[in-house]
Amino acid sequence: MADDLTNDIIAKVKAHADPGIGEITPETELTALGIHSLELTEIIFDLEEAYGIEIEMNTVDAWNNLKNVGDMVAAVRTLIDKKTSA
Amino acid sequence: MTRQRIVITGLGGLCALGTDVESICQAMREGRSAIGEISTPFLRDAKTRIGAQIKQLPEWDIDRRRLVAIDRFAQLAAMSAEQALKQSGIEIAEMDDTRIGAVVGTGIFGAETADENYFALLVEKKPRASVFTVPRIMPSAPAGQVSMIHGLRGPVFGVTSACASSNHAFGAAADQIRLGRADVMLAGGTDAPLVYGVVKGWEALRALARETCRPFSADRDGLVLGEGAGMMVLESYEHAKARGATILAELAGSGMSADATDIVAPTIEGPAAAMQACLRDADLGIDDIDYVNAHGTGTKANDQIETAAIRRVFGTHADSLSVSSTKSMHAHCMGASGAIEAIACIMAVREGVVPPTANYREKDPECDLDVTPNKAKRRNVRAAISNAFAFGGTNAVVAFKAA
Repeated sequence: MADDLTNDIIAKVKAHADPGIGEITPETELTALGIHSLELTEIIFDLEEAYGIEIEMNTVDAWNNLKNVGDMVAAVRTLIDKKTSA
Repeated sequence: MTRQRIVITGLGGLCALGTDVESICQAMREGRSAIGEISTPFLRDAKTRIGAQIKQLPEWDIDRRRLVAIDRFAQLAAMSAEQALKQSGIEIAEMDDTRIGAVVGTGIFGAETADENYFALLVEKKPRASVFTVPRIMPSAPAGQVSMIHGLRGPVFGVTSACASSNHAFGAAADQIRLGRADVMLAGGTDAPLVYGVVKGWEALRALARETCRPFSADRDGLVLGEGAGMMVLESYEHAKARGATILAELAGSGMSADATDIVAPTIEGPAAAMQACLRDADLGIDDIDYVNAHGTGTKANDQIETAAIRRVFGTHADSLSVSSTKSMHAHCMGASGAIEAIACIMAVREGVVPPTANYREKDPECDLDVTPNKAKRRNVRAAISNAFAFGGTNAVVAFKAA
């Protein structure tokens, strides 16, 4: 069962993804989203804004470090936890 | 060594007159002006409401990953390039793709993207710009997009010289072939200036017509902004012949000059020098020219000075010339002007139809050439020149002749 954070991130990813790709799950590979290479940066910006965090990754890092939507959720969750514990 | 002849084997274009070359030519044959009310949200509350807008773009089969990174001006260029390549019959997959390139002129930049970016940041107080802002705005984006979409790996770059950009692009592209850097070049220009920031800039110059564009007419009161693009496929005569291509016309030559005087006020000397340089380059005498597609913006200054410059170059032959400003129909498409006017010249050479100066009402003694008022004229056109005299005093003239 996906939690709220996962659902929320999937919704944000969906706004950028190719409408033809069907359901997006944590297992969906980022390369399957049908997005322009720069668009991943745009999605990261959306997440930073929404959760008040800073994801220190440029476009190349993001593509290298994150493979699927679940990786993105995990990265955001770590940063949110760090923020609340600080 | 004899000079390599450069021929045109494909043409593409989109402007308010039509979204392919045949419909643009048909409107020009009919002398139909496409100037009217602009209906785009990007104009916001600008006072100017008239222009020459492409109301409906054709369907475009393109990957959405590419589309998100493309401003309208680059899209128009890529669509024109597609039409031109199709007509030329060139299959890039079947040739050495490092031997085909593109030069695309623009007088502005990705204006829609620039406007929307500033509105988002300054008015809507968005914390950041879209990640696509830079790749969409840059003046070389049309050239880059044309190369990516169509797979050209030879010389590819943008050129910019305000309203003469397309003509400089034609000259620069022909040079690539003559210098042996490419066998085939796409060349042309594009602009999509019907957005708030650009229109307000032109309003400030007090150069815009109140009602419509009436080049050479005594009651003219300025230019009208339009959007569009045009591209042509250029190759050496030998290359075209060897592959059995249909040759539409010959790009006989180009001439360039600068006024080196004022950023907006034109001179007679600069335009005259560009026309003379073009004739020399094309090895054409003044008597060989039958049609002049004038820069003809419809401003007081341009039309009068251009008339004087044509008279200075052509002497008594000036009275035998057919002259017209097709900006009366497609408006001033900025950096795309020369490319759309090249379509008019090639039609004149191929069909013997001189497109008219539409919206013409009153004779002006200061503009006393045969400006082909309102109705297209049938006459044999052996060769035509197309004038472009830009802000900054950057002038470029190109010559076309029957192949």
